[in-house]
Amino acid sequence: MADLAQAQAGATMPGQPYMELVNVWKRFGEGDKQTVAVRNVDLAIQPGEFVTLIGPSGCGKSTLFNMIAGLLPSDSDGSILVKGKAQQDGALLGKVSFMPQRDLLFPWRTVLDNATLALEVEGMPKRLARQKAEALFPEFGLKGFEQHYPHQLSGGMRQRVALMRTFLFERDLILLDEPFGALDALTRSMMQRWLLDIWEKHRRTVLFITHDIDEAIFLGDKVVVMTARPGTIKCQETITLPRPRDVSVVTTPEFMEVKKKLLAVVEEESLKTFASATMRP
Amino acid sequence: MSLQSAVRSPYAAVLIVAALWLVCVPLFSIPPRYLPPLPAVIADGVSVWPDLAAGFWRTLVETVLGFLAGSLLGITFGIAFAASKTLERAFFPIFVALQTVPVIAFGAIVVIWFGNTILAKVVIALYLAFFPVAVNTLRGLEQADPQRIALMKSFGASRLTLFRKLLLPTAAPNILIGMKLAVALSLAGAVVGEWFGDTVGLGVMLLQALYFELIPRVWVLIIACGALGTLLYGALALLERRFVWWRPD
Repeated sequence: MADLAQAQAGATMPGQPYMELVNVWKRFGEGDKQTVAVRNVDLAIQPGEFVTLIGPSGCGKSTLFNMIAGLLPSDSDGSILVKGKAQQDGALLGKVSFMPQRDLLFPWRTVLDNATLALEVEGMPKRLARQKAEALFPEFGLKGFEQHYPHQLSGGMRQRVALMRTFLFERDLILLDEPFGALDALTRSMMQRWLLDIWEKHRRTVLFITHDIDEAIFLGDKVVVMTARPGTIKCQETITLPRPRDVSVVTTPEFMEVKKKLLAVVEEESLKTFASATMRP
Repeated sequence: MSLQSAVRSPYAAVLIVAALWLVCVPLFSIPPRYLPPLPAVIADGVSVWPDLAAGFWRTLVETVLGFLAGSLLGITFGIAFAASKTLERAFFPIFVALQTVPVIAFGAIVVIWFGNTILAKVVIALYLAFFPVAVNTLRGLEQADPQRIALMKSFGASRLTLFRKLLLPTAAPNILIGMKLAVALSLAGAVVGEWFGDTVGLGVMLLQALYFELIPRVWVLIIACGALGTLLYGALALLERRFVWWRPD
């Protein structure tokens, strides 16, 4: 039995979620000054699933993200499981492909060398890493820009370089923290469609944070709504809109119906945040 | 080249100053004690040309050696301070105190230790070059964006990888700022070092010229020191433009 379990440790058993958060908490400070950032979060992410997470600003989304990326330990009363195994503090570092809000490109590296950063850190020889990255350039719409430097690119292109860096760090779970938040509406909608294309081709598990409801529904298999601080999961909505999705999907009655439902929930939470912020002395 | 850009070029500025010098001295009949005429200065320079060239070379070597050793030591201490707060708290105040000791007082001790060797000049140049490099290295390393550090950690980067791929390149522009300050200071250190006794060097010639009140010679040496400093600074700026052109964003 033990041998069998060991043999299967690398693979996900059918029906088993890739990642599970069980009663995850995060508190900062001690005693009276203690603030709870994240409270009692339970969430299961299936392999290959595209999960989007929305919530009012300051609800602890980023704290939750940092815990999943392994950058912040979660409090000891809950646990984060990967393929059914609980992860110790710091064990998640290097296991999750993580892309923060800002592109965080290194100004002294060319686009190509920025894309291969994670591979280099892993110890892959430079030449091999470059070959691997070069193959992705056309798909990411960056062909011909390999030797450019980040300051020569537009915001949308920089974001694509950051995404390529994230994709090249081949991990089962990709964490995206509002990757399109800083882009203008037109670029953003193009990037969303493009991201779906890429995702359908590569089929990685994605957890995507956003504060844009349209984006959450358009991209996700499942939309998770967080409450105002202390953040916990208010509801989960499975999105059954057919794939592949294109722009026209956002005007269908099905989309509208989901949006209406989620909007009401998010609005309620945003009001709470707003009220607690204005009532504070 | 348009007139405007010609006027802006650094060579033009040198020519303009030379022209003003050439014209103004006879025009306002400035006594040579205050400012000797340019042709007299040039003639004096030519007359001592072999000594001047040898002195220039000697002072250049002292400055460069002191600058390189000081930069290396400064970068090392900057990195050590950035890595360990304890080390910074223990040693930084000592370095600050050392900086306030006048180089003349320190130089006398160095000459007692090392004698009238080239090493003594190098050590004095090092002493002046070290501090700005150490401070700027430390500041540069502290500037690394915590989010970039988090990103590198999420890739599973070790401390060494983090340092090599993120911290050091982030600090590089600041280190260069420190080195540009240091190069001018090492020249001053080398010249002052020569005052404690030697036979070759721009500092030696300067001291002799002052002693015998050879005013045109003093101006020759001022120009020579200026040229030496500019040369070294220019070389450093060229290296910077080629290798450390990015700015922290």
